[in-house]
Amino acid sequence: MSDATPAVQRPAPHGSRDSAFFWEGCRRGVLMGQRCADCGAWRHPPRPMCPHCQSVEREEVELSGRATLYSWAKPVHPPLPMFEPGYLIALVDLEEGQRMLSNLCDVSPEAIEIGMPLEVFFVETAEGGAVHQFRPRQAS
Amino acid sequence: MASNGIRDRVAIVGMGCTAFGEHWDKSTADMLVESAGDAYRSAQVDPEQVDAYWLGTMGSGLSGLVLSEALKIQYKPVTHVENFCATGSEALRNACYAVACGAYDLVMAIGVEKLKDSGFSGLVVGSPAHDGARADITAPAIFSMLVPAYCKKYGVDEETLKDVISRIAWKNHANGAKNPKAQFRNEVPLEMIKASPSIAGMLGLFDCSGVADGSAAAIVCRAEDAHKYTDTPLFVKALSFVAGPSEGNKRQDYDFTTFTEVVASAEDAYKQAGITNPREEISMAEVHDCFTPTELVLLEDLGFSARGEGWKDVLDGRFDLDGPQPINPDGGLKSFGHPIGASGLRMMYEMWLQFRGEAGERQLAAPKLGLTHNLGGGPGSCVSFVSVVGK
Repeated sequence: MSDATPAVQRPAPHGSRDSAFFWEGCRRGVLMGQRCADCGAWRHPPRPMCPHCQSVEREEVELSGRATLYSWAKPVHPPLPMFEPGYLIALVDLEEGQRMLSNLCDVSPEAIEIGMPLEVFFVETAEGGAVHQFRPRQAS
Repeated sequence: MASNGIRDRVAIVGMGCTAFGEHWDKSTADMLVESAGDAYRSAQVDPEQVDAYWLGTMGSGLSGLVLSEALKIQYKPVTHVENFCATGSEALRNACYAVACGAYDLVMAIGVEKLKDSGFSGLVVGSPAHDGARADITAPAIFSMLVPAYCKKYGVDEETLKDVISRIAWKNHANGAKNPKAQFRNEVPLEMIKASPSIAGMLGLFDCSGVADGSAAAIVCRAEDAHKYTDTPLFVKALSFVAGPSEGNKRQDYDFTTFTEVVASAEDAYKQAGITNPREEISMAEVHDCFTPTELVLLEDLGFSARGEGWKDVLDGRFDLDGPQPINPDGGLKSFGHPIGASGLRMMYEMWLQFRGEAGERQLAAPKLGLTHNLGGGPGSCVSFVSVVGK
């Protein structure tokens, strides 16, 4: 499915000052996370203030990109022009403790197992952007 | 945290409800005029007697003018409220509180949504654009995740659970077939439900609620005045509303077998109403069956079934119209579709009919307490409303 070409290219994330580091990370192939520099709580999407301790001190941290599959689904309807039909959505549990919504690629539904090891990779969007995707982790 | 409630301090004394469906021939204003007119007549009041209005709509207009222009309301307070798919219930809740505090004597809560010619297929989307870092997912896809989660937690195989959710659709369509105001008025055979085209995950077409236009309205007064308007008022026992921290899709400890917001609002409502055993004390309920597995999880979150036992109760027929605790006797979102602002008041309309003995073919024998439940959002991130009403 990832080698088929959709009718419309996936639009670029439009980004904001808060999330610029995240999308910039996607463009250079690194999954980034934001953490409160005072209490250490992770937060996503990126935002200026910690919802737990109200600190505005924050850290932008490179994540391992390793995750396990928590849940997945194949949406059939409504069709979206930027996705090839048959695309999969996934909730992935990142090694660092957060959960993230993304796409699951390079695996047939029959071969999917809950808890399977995944790794991040990135696909290009329109206008030279990039978004994070997950696929079964290659043995390392 | 105080949540004192207003048990038996206000009553619904009149209601109106349009037929729900594809009203290409009616505008938002037309539907408001129809449901409000029915409510005035039901309470036997003139529009001049109503002191204030609460209008619930998510996408069919902004401000109180949507209602005041439609009804030609003469310089009275009209409050526009929105709270996702629980918008109609939120209009009623705030109207009830305004009466309970003594600010007004007689008020109307009215909900409306015009979805069919909004230019968008499905529910209207009112959220502002974000920067893309917060990924979006379709409603069927996120709700479909309840199914494998439930199967895994309680050791139910997916084939059995498909039977369970199909039976929920079958039940609600069977009830809707008996309701002249429902969008879909056909019984649907189980085999057709199970064979319907896939929408997302294990959800087929018949696991999803429809898309309809509609409006419903309630007139509310203080309990001591209720018998001025009707011999059979419907008294409000509890109204609870909670919004959650919206962390479920970001935290690894959320397991998709419960709506924590529903648990919190049910607990609050039961406390307000003095209910300790909802499985025995609630005679009937209208719950938010946007997708069939939602209803299954709600049965457990609302305390009608023990954790992990709801699927058996469904298969046993506990929640059928002729069972001990009918759920969605009017046909639910499944048969009515979901005109967002109207749905919560449509649920209350069934309570109104049932307690007055006016539910026709669907009439239940001597209900004692009824419950309505509205959910807005999805698993891990939602608002929840629970009411308890009775004689």
